[in-house]
Amino acid sequence: MGEMKQARPTVLEVHHMIKTYGSTKALRDVSLSIREGEVRGLIGENGSGKSTVASIIAGMQKADSGSMTYRGKEWNPKTMIDALEHGIGMIVQESGTVPGISVAENIFLADVDRFRKGPVMNRRKMMEEARRILDDIGAEDLRAEMLTGALDIQSRKLIEIARVMRQDPQILVVDETTTALSHRGREIIYRIMRKMREEGKSVFFISHDMEEIMKECDALTVLRDGEIIRTFDRDEFEEEEIKRCMIGRELKGDYYRSDDDSQFDPEVVLEARHVTVPGGEPLRDFSIQLHKGEILGIGGLSQCGMHTLGKVLFGAIKPVDGSALIRGEQVKNEADAMKKNVGYVSKDRDSESLVLQAPIGDNIAAGGLDRFALGHILVTPGAEKAYVNAQIESLEVKCQSRKQYVSALSGGNKQKVVFGKWIGRGSEILILDCPTRGIDIGVKQAMYQLMAAMKREGKSILIISEEMAELIGMADRIAVLKEGRLEKVFRREEHPQEADLIRYMI
Amino acid sequence: MKVKNLLLNIAPLIGLLILIAGYFVIGRINDINVAYGLKTIVNQSVVVAVVATGAVFIYTLGAFDISLGASTAVSALMAGIVYLKTESVGLMFLTAVCVAVLVSLLNSVLAGVFHLPVFVTTIAMLSVLNALALLLLNLGGTGSEIKVPQAAVKSLDTLWFKLLVLGAYFLFCFFLFDFTPIGRRQKFLGGNPLCAKLTGISLNRYSVIAFVICGLGVGLGAFLSIVYAPTLTRNTASSVGMDVIIAIVFGGMPVSGGARSRIYAAVIGAFSMSFLSQIMVMLNLNSGVGQMVKAAIFLLVVFIAAGERKMKTLPR
Repeated sequence: MGEMKQARPTVLEVHHMIKTYGSTKALRDVSLSIREGEVRGLIGENGSGKSTVASIIAGMQKADSGSMTYRGKEWNPKTMIDALEHGIGMIVQESGTVPGISVAENIFLADVDRFRKGPVMNRRKMMEEARRILDDIGAEDLRAEMLTGALDIQSRKLIEIARVMRQDPQILVVDETTTALSHRGREIIYRIMRKMREEGKSVFFISHDMEEIMKECDALTVLRDGEIIRTFDRDEFEEEEIKRCMIGRELKGDYYRSDDDSQFDPEVVLEARHVTVPGGEPLRDFSIQLHKGEILGIGGLSQCGMHTLGKVLFGAIKPVDGSALIRGEQVKNEADAMKKNVGYVSKDRDSESLVLQAPIGDNIAAGGLDRFALGHILVTPGAEKAYVNAQIESLEVKCQSRKQYVSALSGGNKQKVVFGKWIGRGSEILILDCPTRGIDIGVKQAMYQLMAAMKREGKSILIISEEMAELIGMADRIAVLKEGRLEKVFRREEHPQEADLIRYMI
Repeated sequence: MKVKNLLLNIAPLIGLLILIAGYFVIGRINDINVAYGLKTIVNQSVVVAVVATGAVFIYTLGAFDISLGASTAVSALMAGIVYLKTESVGLMFLTAVCVAVLVSLLNSVLAGVFHLPVFVTTIAMLSVLNALALLLLNLGGTGSEIKVPQAAVKSLDTLWFKLLVLGAYFLFCFFLFDFTPIGRRQKFLGGNPLCAKLTGISLNRYSVIAFVICGLGVGLGAFLSIVYAPTLTRNTASSVGMDVIIAIVFGGMPVSGGARSRIYAAVIGAFSMSFLSQIMVMLNLNSGVGQMVKAAIFLLVVFIAAGERKMKTLPR
């Protein structure tokens, strides 16, 4: 690695970059560089500025001041398309596909005219070309003619990757993309990054997953509050030190639950009884029970049916057979589940759990109008303010005020708002689908401790997760699903290892 | 940033105040009877303001009703026929409101049952209502008009009555929109229907509520139309549908609905439009030029609103 550092020239440099959003200083005098053939990790808490610097490099927005050089020349891309045409591409956090058109049309989104001869579009050629690109990145099961809107998040993300990779970028920015991907999807990204390294190209890799970032990167730059704290070379990687740099202090106290006790009340509060749901993420005659005061973990591969289970139990999906029961009563719909004190945190936070173009206050209050409105009719500003501010304070949401729009918050703070929506109304049962997806370790720890505290209060949590360490660290029992069926249930006292879970998932 | 946000929020009101000031200044310069003009402005604005205030509930959901003008006309015609049969102003009022609410309800139920965008059902409804209006003119009138005696509504044809109706309906809507869960949930639905569904908010239920409230406004608008012009023809309320859309946008309501929806947008927009029209009359600009000026301002307002939205969605 040291040899590489000396031999390979610097390809891109950022000098003294500053960026502000209103009163928020997103970047404060950031300078960094990347060499040819280097995979550089960018890591930091939500809101640390890593996505901001990456998006400026990739032409998504402009810095307030500072400069960049790319291959020795001044670099100042006008747009992301301009940047990509000159060799710097970015796969963004948010979904960037158009739902109403085919996979192939999304891949060639701004460039479909290349398949046009006069007024005639050569669709066959476009499909062939798209198929070749999808095969190249390892997404062979995605068909070029599929309608994008019918695909899941992972497939849509793979389309974005294909769109960027077809332009053969010299520098690729991967911005928290892996959080939306399953094991297979992540492997595709890793393969692309390794190939680029071998070809002397460079990658900025942004992720909250310490394990993958330490495994895949040659160097790691830690940002905090818009400043670069330290850059680690690979031989300096040390997890605790990186974490300390990220959050500016030692990570004290327990991360997951510290107890080894899987005791809970025998009362069944939530139940899936012989549930069958057809489709791409099916459930087949699936039964499971969640008890009072229990944290029940649900794990499996991405398409195993676990995300469907969460929605079935909340009444958002009606099973074709079987039933979802809350304290023995069948759940009719989402409103009914809420009346029965159940809350649901979706895996797809931005699309399903939040109104991004609305204030924090509206998002938190929406779940609790029946709690603080006088006689369920009158919403007084005072009652609403008190209700919302109580959640903001107890969950320590970092924001200017309750009137700030959710779209301006970092991922971790967005998730706190979602939690506030459900905890504020006093939910006794929480269904959490990938609750720590795309969240930094500081907020993760706070979420885990919150779950542990809720368990101690006798509340019940069903946590669906693709992170096995999270399930092992938090759950009283872990149910492993495979192709819509229950494969195995582990109890906490058995101390299952990740390998044990994987054996039943695959 | 706070000052900028505040300015953007009150920009429609500032616009209205500028137009009012402009109206008086131009009136003074041209030596025009501004008091008489004010009466015309209120008469022009009040029907649009009432209908548009109700329509804000539909727009907040991110939906769009193109049949409001036709619904106003049919409600007025039905009410006129009922008056001719009963000679009761009370029954005429009730008929206008009930017909409008029923039409609105039908729109929302059709959209809910067939899982169609509201816009689509209202296009179909527009055709049906236009045909129904012609039918009513044939059935209940001379074929070209239904004439409610002027004397029957003369006592109501005052500025105070019209402003009272507008004020009462506005306060009712303001209360529902800003101080009850109804308005809050509708804004949430408009912002993200999927998230709202997963927060226990039913789109069908709140669509029906929005359309009923809007129907009430259409009914009141229909009644006020009769009071202002008791001879009902094919042209009754013919421009209301388009004026409502323009007024809502003029008033600063985002066309996409959601959290930035404002109930007062309709009233501000309706009066802004009327003052603008009156100013153009005072400046002797012909109606063609006037329409172009209105179109230019309409585009400017949408452009500014869209620009603000883009600014707020920059990534971090």
